Amino acid sequence: MIEKALKGSRNYWLWIGLLLLCIGAGFSAFSRQMWEGLTVTGMGRDVSWGLYIAQFTFFVGVAASAVMVVIPYYLHNQKAFAKTVIVGEFMAVAATLMCMLFILADMGRPDRVLNVLLYPSPHAMVFWDVMVLNGYLVINLVSAWTVLGAERKGVPPPAWVKPIIYLSIPWAFSIHTVTAFLYAGLPGRHLWLTAVLAPRFLASAFAAGTSLLILVTLILKKTTGFDAGNEARQKLAVLATYAGVANFFMIGTEFFTAFYSNVPAHMHGLQYLFFGLEGKSALVPWMWLSLLLGFGALAILFNPKLRHTSKWLVAACVGMVSSIWIDKGVGLVLGGFVPSPLEEITEYGVTLTELTVTLGIWAVGILVLTLLLKVAVTVKKEQEA
Amino acid sequence: MNEDRRSFIKKAGIGILAGIGSAAGLFPALSLEKTVLPAWDEKPEPGKHRWGMLIDTRKCSGNCSECVAACHFTHNVPDFGNRKDEVKWIWKSSYENVFPTASQQFQSPGVTERPYVALCNHCAEPPCTKACPTEATFRRWDGIVSMDYHRCIGCRFCMAACPYGSRSFNWRDPREGIKLASTEYPTRMQGVVEKCNFCSERLVKGLDPACVEACPEQALVFGDLNDPGSEIRKLLESTETMQRKPELGTKPSVFYII
Amino acid sequence: MKRRRATLTKKLIMTAAAVLILVLAGVYAFRHEESQAEKIAAPAAAAVDSSACIGSKEYMRANHMRVLNEWRHSSVRDGNRVHVAPDGRKIEKSLNTCLNCHSGNRMFCFNCHMYANVKPNCWNCHISPMEAP
Repeated sequence: MIEKALKGSRNYWLWIGLLLLCIGAGFSAFSRQMWEGLTVTGMGRDVSWGLYIAQFTFFVGVAASAVMVVIPYYLHNQKAFAKTVIVGEFMAVAATLMCMLFILADMGRPDRVLNVLLYPSPHAMVFWDVMVLNGYLVINLVSAWTVLGAERKGVPPPAWVKPIIYLSIPWAFSIHTVTAFLYAGLPGRHLWLTAVLAPRFLASAFAAGTSLLILVTLILKKTTGFDAGNEARQKLAVLATYAGVANFFMIGTEFFTAFYSNVPAHMHGLQYLFFGLEGKSALVPWMWLSLLLGFGALAILFNPKLRHTSKWLVAACVGMVSSIWIDKGVGLVLGGFVPSPLEEITEYGVTLTELTVTLGIWAVGILVLTLLLKVAVTVKKEQEA
Repeated sequence: MNEDRRSFIKKAGIGILAGIGSAAGLFPALSLEKTVLPAWDEKPEPGKHRWGMLIDTRKCSGNCSECVAACHFTHNVPDFGNRKDEVKWIWKSSYENVFPTASQQFQSPGVTERPYVALCNHCAEPPCTKACPTEATFRRWDGIVSMDYHRCIGCRFCMAACPYGSRSFNWRDPREGIKLASTEYPTRMQGVVEKCNFCSERLVKGLDPACVEACPEQALVFGDLNDPGSEIRKLLESTETMQRKPELGTKPSVFYII
Repeated sequence: MKRRRATLTKKLIMTAAAVLILVLAGVYAFRHEESQAEKIAAPAAAAVDSSACIGSKEYMRANHMRVLNEWRHSSVRDGNRVHVAPDGRKIEKSLNTCLNCHSGNRMFCFNCHMYANVKPNCWNCHISPMEAP
């Protein structure tokens, strides 16, 4: 079935070529990083995680969001989602792969990554994150590929696939919960030390992931003619809307607890992000942009006339994804390090090398997604014919 | 593709993988003789000693940084001249930075204008060792929170977990930042986390930590917290002391006399 | 119908067997070896005894990497810094034990390693005989 990814139009190959170029650039930047050390990034002693971990956090959410199509289709037999499931599952595969690459890019000694397996540490959340992410990748790849293969042969999928698909549902929740637990259990970082972090991660993931899924189905419609269907897109939009509402509600509760309680440690993180702290305010415009984009997206999604108009739906989805990308990435990860445990403020600035590596990893994810979707779309088109 | 060909390739693939896997497991072990390391001598009793430090900040003067210099020289801690790549095991800071959760209101200028030395607290319940995915950082039998630089994968989770900002990362090759190399202790390599180790290599020789020895005012007292007769315990019982962020439940081993 | 089920069972069994072989091989390959000697109670710290190496030349040539690995684990992680040689001498488990004895030759480790094209990363951190003052 993979051979279907090796046949394509001129535009298809141009796209692959462009992605390969980006991957090459990213690889080159990564080797510079390997040689000179992580000093080539914007990270430092006070802000010890940056763009890579921010991207990791965002894409774990995107990966988990596949559950938003798996549940309605497999658990509740909502036939409208039939053509979106494969897209969602393959998106989860690509996103999980990107997460793992971002972790590798961020590590000081990636040559020692197997130490996590050689010396398992169940008390460490990173250990569990590695386990569940790898498991999720395998589960989604195997189940999606098998179901697709069965469709191609015109037979029902084998019986063993069903339990694996059902397993992917709680597993999706677990990958993002474990990722939230990476942050939410650290006593020294008060922006993260909140029980609401895991539910917020899930809500923002479901909002951003489903919006991204809508966009991908629209891109597929435009480039290949494969249409997942407007009904599916509208249902996804509804899911994104309410997930988005939950996310912003939880941000609101964070603000309340911090500012009503007046506890400095709780307030400082949000103050730095949204209002500036001690004159340092580099992230303030980003955070307000994120809120603006998010609320704007919700306003569009709540309006049925706009939601049904393709142009406005696209704008809403782009807005939602960008808003949560800023919130989870820029806001959450960088904000956690300000102020430092010694109440000092160091601001983070991204470097070109860092951006190039990130671009390369994005390109790897998009390439994997392209190849997998090419197979999926070809198979589905053959079946329709 | 032909069905028979496909199933053959599948079976051959699995067979090759299984073969390589078992070969990798069996052959090296068969070719090397077992090393015989007789006797587990002197394995230390966990919890018998608990090293701790008492810092009498009243004796600490503003201009002196002997403790920092001694530590950083002895352990080949690099200096790159910029805050971003900074590596420090012990440093001087101010009252509001070292004790941010203590009262900042109407403190006497004698207290707030003094320098305060900050270092790894070697907590009894360290959040950093909980966070480490490879147990490269772990709490030793004698209370010291130790780093195994050979195992560290550089994920910097421990840095995020430490509520005291005690840990530094080697963002670049440390050897480029060391002017005089001491031979008493190795350097570290690019990509691993490091921090104060309570001079465990000196304790083994019966010496005090480098900072304790270097302080001209003897402001640093080091000893066994589990020994009620030790100097540090006697001082703790007779003087009022303070710790950094005790509300977090980390149970630090470093005490301050204000 | 019956034939298809039998093939499925056979496939499952073969896959499970292959996975089991891989897992067993992996576990066996990466197991950490403990030494098999009795505990001997002994007093204080060990002195470096320069009269002889901890083992014979042939033994050290074949096993020095495993000795160093086990010493490292034992002294860093277990706190057991004393190695008792077969002839009863007590030796400190430290790279310096080796380097202090073999201090005459600045190329001590490098001669063989360069010949054998082996590049262990000890000297990224540890101060090598070439660099020692």
